[in-house]
Amino acid sequence: METNLVVEGFKFLVIGMGTVFLFLAFMIFMMGIMSNIVHKFFPEVQPKSVSSAQNTQDAQNNQKKIVAAITAAIKHHRES
Amino acid sequence: MRFFVIKLIALLMFLTLGSINASEQGVSAQSSTHKEETYKTRPFSEMISGFLESTGINALVNPNPDELDSHGNKMSDFHKSWGRVIMILVTFLLFYLAIAKGFEPLLLLPIGFGGLLANIPIANMAGPDGFLGIIYHMGLSNQLFPILIFMGVGAMTDFGPLLSNPKTALLGGAAQFGIFGTLVGAVALAQYTPFFDFTLKQASAISIIGGADGPTSIFIATQLAPELLGAIAVASYSYMAMVPIIQPPIMKALTNDAERRIKMSTMRHVSRLEKLVFPIMVLTLAILVLPDATPLIGAFMFGNFLKESGVVDRLSDTMQNALINIVTIFLGLAVGSKLASDQFLVADTLAILALGIIAFSAGTAAGVIMAKIMNMFPGNKINPLIGSAGVSAVPMAARVSNKVGMEYDRNNMLLMHAMGPNVAGVIGSAVAAGVLISLFQ
Repeated sequence: METNLVVEGFKFLVIGMGTVFLFLAFMIFMMGIMSNIVHKFFPEVQPKSVSSAQNTQDAQNNQKKIVAAITAAIKHHRES
Repeated sequence: MRFFVIKLIALLMFLTLGSINASEQGVSAQSSTHKEETYKTRPFSEMISGFLESTGINALVNPNPDELDSHGNKMSDFHKSWGRVIMILVTFLLFYLAIAKGFEPLLLLPIGFGGLLANIPIANMAGPDGFLGIIYHMGLSNQLFPILIFMGVGAMTDFGPLLSNPKTALLGGAAQFGIFGTLVGAVALAQYTPFFDFTLKQASAISIIGGADGPTSIFIATQLAPELLGAIAVASYSYMAMVPIIQPPIMKALTNDAERRIKMSTMRHVSRLEKLVFPIMVLTLAILVLPDATPLIGAFMFGNFLKESGVVDRLSDTMQNALINIVTIFLGLAVGSKLASDQFLVADTLAILALGIIAFSAGTAAGVIMAKIMNMFPGNKINPLIGSAGVSAVPMAARVSNKVGMEYDRNNMLLMHAMGPNVAGVIGSAVAAGVLISLFQ
């Protein structure tokens, strides 16, 4: 009997897509586990840089406030 | 053996040339006292006619009946004469596309020039002893070059976006439907039309174009159907370059306005350790599930691991730049050598070009539809526009998602979200390649 290539093609389709999805689903599952482990046992020291960035921003804001206060004081002094 | 063939050809030429004045001059040439073993003195007229015989014009107009193609098979006269001229014009078209239109110039230029050189008569550069043939056998017929390219791509890839939103990997999986759907289409063509006669192996090699991944296409084509390599590589790279033209209409047709405006939640920070563990993890999965995919995935993850390790910047820098550039030159020339007229100017090429664009479109559509399906489930909504990035053309497909998204909402930056399915698509097509290889063992 002559093999029907189209039927073979559909077999490939099912096996292929099945394997790809299975692999990626398994990968997603493992990624979740891996992230949890990493975050639980090896928390990043990274936030420091984030907070330091915030700090510098805070500092800048503070300085702006101080400048504003001083200008206001000078203005007040001159007007009075 | 080779020397014998050269001698034979020389003898043939000698006989045909000399037919006009063979009787008297042939004798005089032989009776010359000053005789060297490799050089025979010949009359001046004969030398000139001999030279004229060896010009390209003559070789194109009067094809040499004994000339064989790079596989040692007989070629038809058409492929030796006008076929070559047509192929040289085709390579000029490739130059135009690469230079004027900016279609993947890094690959189309070496491929085009390789094709130009391969179609030169007499010089036989694509033959086993020509320099294109040597490059081909050095690294393409044994799949070395695609693997080296994969290393470099790995060293350029950042898995951060994928790690911060893992489920987008499914989009990269769905886009592989382009491969297997087209496989069915190709065998259907072979089964139900009298014009094409693809075997299952050839159909698989063609359909891998749908993975939108040049090195993977070449890897599979050299393994399953080396005779179709030229057409497959050209189709693959030209369509990758045409992603910004092919994808948007499909993406727009399959989504509505509200879906295109979906804003995705901001991405979480991914720690360095996660990025470092990820390549090893994926490779381990590949080892367990599909060892046939490990040449590609292994090289890819090797490059990525070196990059993420952060301690071998020199090596990762070499892979990202020097190595990948060198290999790209060789790969392009070697693929170009398969653009010889006898291999490219066949009806199959048209079918490959047509099936390739169907494969691309099917992959894009499958990715978008998958995103819509995922949105039916509870959880963070996904903008379906990033589904199209599941085809692995990195980073072009992700940029297209971003651009189309911006058309509808200028503040909706999808680029980083689209990189997730994009790199997952690379893994997905490597897995698909592994499946195809394993099915033929």
